[in-house]
Amino acid sequence: MTKKKKKFLKILIVFFVIEIVILLISGNLNKELHIGLDDSGKFVIKNIEKPFDLQKKILEDFQPDQYLEEEGEEPQIYGSEKLYNFFKNVFGQNAIGSFRLLRMLLIVDLLLIFLAILIRKKLFERPSKPQILFELIYTVFEEFVDETLGKKNLHFTPYIVTLFIFIWTCNMIGLIPIPGFMEPTRNLNVPLGLGIMAVAVVHYMAIKTKGLGKYLKGYAEPLPPMAPLNFISELSKAVSISFRLFGNILGGSIIILVVSSLVKFIIMPVGLSLFFGMFVGTIQAFVFTMLALTYISAEIAE
Amino acid sequence: MEQIARAAALLGAGICMGIGALGPGVGEGFVAGKACEGIARSPENASLITRTMLVGQAVSESTGIYSLVIALLLIFST
Repeated sequence: MTKKKKKFLKILIVFFVIEIVILLISGNLNKELHIGLDDSGKFVIKNIEKPFDLQKKILEDFQPDQYLEEEGEEPQIYGSEKLYNFFKNVFGQNAIGSFRLLRMLLIVDLLLIFLAILIRKKLFERPSKPQILFELIYTVFEEFVDETLGKKNLHFTPYIVTLFIFIWTCNMIGLIPIPGFMEPTRNLNVPLGLGIMAVAVVHYMAIKTKGLGKYLKGYAEPLPPMAPLNFISELSKAVSISFRLFGNILGGSIIILVVSSLVKFIIMPVGLSLFFGMFVGTIQAFVFTMLALTYISAEIAE
Repeated sequence: MEQIARAAALLGAGICMGIGALGPGVGEGFVAGKACEGIARSPENASLITRTMLVGQAVSESTGIYSLVIALLLIFST
């Protein structure tokens, strides 16, 4: 056991030294290594000198359409040109960005559906290991719903658990270091849609439990002239709950990009990914579901 | 003129982030301190107190997030 550990430590130290040497060498280089086919079809390996601009890098990563427009480049189309033209017709100026977002959302959805089918196929009385994991998640959230809403409203648990698992998977999928992979929650549209959905559920439940008359009367609570203020406070619920998730994930990914550009993209910022990717992602997914639960309980509890 | 506007936007983004991070920092520290006191007084309620603390901190953090969004708007839209 100890021998294995020593060997592992040696390999780790060698890798660390190699990375530091590469870092020192590349400190004042502004070159990119290109390996591939030339325009004329020849195989070439060459250094291309490129002035590095951090803001352009961030723009390229976060708003690819605007970057291409500013650079005056034509987008490279892999695969079918029909699909690109279709997206350009539907989304207008943000064709590439929205295509990336939809692609990531599709990957997350397919992953979750596939997992659900796999788990559903192997349900036993004596649970297997993955079944225990998913039952644990479900039981924990069932307890939360039981504490805040009471035994009567346990039918909210599937919605809450789905919200948590979806947002958590969205936050985690950005950790996979493949070019083009990003967190779907980095785009404002996804959190805003989830937030509006949560607020819609809250108001539907309020109307269902209180009745329409009492619900409308709730807007004129202290005095009738206060109605617009109450209405704005209901709207700001959706805005604040979605901007919180969006800002945290976007800020974390920008910090990771800036720090890894300082070391010329040689060392992967593992510590930063651990904090901003895993810790903040989990906390924000948890907070989103807890706030949705709290909003529902504030309307239902009498 | 354009460069002056750009410089002012960058300066404004820095000031916005600096002042906007003051409030959430003080508020979150206060909440964490109070939660520590609560856990020390009744350790059997630790999980409930931690959960409430996290939600409260996230709510008080939202003003900081708003200032981050405004700073990003100032940097990337001028």
